[in-house]
Amino acid sequence: RDNTTFRAQLRDDPDVASAVAAIRALLGFLKQDRGETIQGLRSSLLAAIDTLSRVDSSVAVSSGGELFLRFISLTSLEYSDYSKCKEIMIERGEIFLRKVSLSRNKIAKLCHPFIRDGARILTHAYSRVVLRVLEAAVEAKKRFSVYVTESQPDQAGQKMAKALRKLNIPVTVILDAAVGYIMEKVDLVLVGAEGVVESGGIINKIGTNQIAVCAKAQNKPFYVVAESFKFVRLFPLNQQDVPDKFKYKADTLKTNQNLTEEHPWIDYTSPSLITLLFTDLGVLTPSAVSDELIKLYL
Amino acid sequence: MPGAAERGSELSEQIEAFVARLRGGGERPRSEDTARQTLSLLRKIVAHGRWSRAGELMDLIRREGQRMTAAQPSETTVGNMVRRVLKIIREEYGRLHGRSEESDQQESLHKLLTSGGLREDFSTPYPPLRANVIEAINELLIELEGTTDNIAMQALEHIHSNEVIMTIGYSRTVEAFLKEAARKRKFQVIVAECAPFCQGHEMAVRLSKENIETTVMSDAAIFAVMSRVNKVIIGTKTILANGALIAVSGTHTLALAAKHHSTPLIVCAPMFKLSPQFPNEEDSFHKFVSPQEVLPFTEGEILAKINVHCPVFDYVPPELITLFISNIGGNAPSYIYRLMSELYHPDDYEL
Repeated sequence: RDNTTFRAQLRDDPDVASAVAAIRALLGFLKQDRGETIQGLRSSLLAAIDTLSRVDSSVAVSSGGELFLRFISLTSLEYSDYSKCKEIMIERGEIFLRKVSLSRNKIAKLCHPFIRDGARILTHAYSRVVLRVLEAAVEAKKRFSVYVTESQPDQAGQKMAKALRKLNIPVTVILDAAVGYIMEKVDLVLVGAEGVVESGGIINKIGTNQIAVCAKAQNKPFYVVAESFKFVRLFPLNQQDVPDKFKYKADTLKTNQNLTEEHPWIDYTSPSLITLLFTDLGVLTPSAVSDELIKLYL
Repeated sequence: MPGAAERGSELSEQIEAFVARLRGGGERPRSEDTARQTLSLLRKIVAHGRWSRAGELMDLIRREGQRMTAAQPSETTVGNMVRRVLKIIREEYGRLHGRSEESDQQESLHKLLTSGGLREDFSTPYPPLRANVIEAINELLIELEGTTDNIAMQALEHIHSNEVIMTIGYSRTVEAFLKEAARKRKFQVIVAECAPFCQGHEMAVRLSKENIETTVMSDAAIFAVMSRVNKVIIGTKTILANGALIAVSGTHTLALAAKHHSTPLIVCAPMFKLSPQFPNEEDSFHKFVSPQEVLPFTEGEILAKINVHCPVFDYVPPELITLFISNIGGNAPSYIYRLMSELYHPDDYEL
């Protein structure tokens, strides 16, 4: 039942982040739950999150689910009476969803002053947050041009280019392999993130790490835009440390036993390559990210 | 009431005079003096201004603050002091309103999840607020007095005997720092003269009066001499939110040379120089003065054919800096974000 709600949400509103859709589905689940105890609620929520990640095993769904669980624990600590607790949870859940729907606009407001007039921006694959930032820059009457990587294997870059052309931004689609070639022409790199890890690094579409390394080598600023609900409690030290369930699509995980034949969909970019992160909590340096996570989870 | 109207007009006169002095430029004002003058002016506004609620006071301070920062954007201490006062008002209001002191005023994931509703609107009037805010500003002024001494006290931990220290231009904080160390240790100082204003000369004269072995050299020789230097200690005009510096022109060269030779670069700067701005498009830090010093007007014909610029400040990225020594101790550039969250409230980053 949650599957269908979740899938329906993703289908109806392609603009919504998958983490938000997951949280909305979980909130709906919470409203319908007939349990009497917190423990019961937690275990049924864990089962629900598991079901959701079987539909879409991305980092975003995982971080959204964990955030929701944390939200439940925090609220249950304040109120011992279960039914009152549940009411408060539902109320706060709605407020939370309202706040996060504004987060993209907050990020756009923080980020667009960093785009100078006449800038050449490089971005990777399709990110709705980056699109919103560039939209805000256009509204601020800035002139700039964008290079988008094609981003194989799903050609997400073409989707991004189409959306940018609708905003009348001059855009060029380049091969993933051409990043090193184009880097000298570019003024700044702006990417989204599927997840932001505890060290301040990011998990994003495969190819992001390469772009970050090239940008560092040529001394170009590498900016990341991400909403705060994407912060996850992972601390990968290298590419191997990222769990398999994030690297491959849910269907692949179900059907394929030998994952060494599969191509991963995401990679990990280390914090030393990132200049600044723009989130709805403000402009953060990578070292500030772990502080935020500690404040939440401790 | 004639008394209040008189005070009101006197206050606006003083603000006008301050703004005019900021805009006028003239001789280089000392950052600490600017900070102190700003705070005194803000204290007067709190004491004599027409307001009854915290919200109105904050709007008043913000308005005056915007005017003052617009007069001279490169004097970031003015904006910093305004933000400190705004934070003080928020804290005092919170204390009177009954909110616990530990409650974090910052945005955080935690707050997003647990908060129940709208934000503070600062509209309840509290009579003791005026006195409390003025008292807190007085405490801040006292803190301001002691910053240079606090920094100088840490000198002995960082400077050892027989070291060669390099500095650039004239920074009063670094002067105090080196003088304090010279009382117990013997070391040499090389001062880069920092053309075109050559403030390094004045620094060298003052240091040699304290019997510190000082050498002055031109900016072009910085890289050549760097291999002999143990430490580079500099002052700065502003510290930005990402840990970068806006310092006197020539500092970036010095920082790059130090990085190349793996020489530690220590920045001595008090906390009131920390500004929550990021280096971005506005580039309001760039200040150009008359290029008279670079190429005098007597050169005549050549001036018609070329462009001459004389920038005052330089941007130094955070990767080149090893340590910040401030009145609250030593910190790494990556920790600056934390210090900022303790000094200012995120809603005030944009005045």
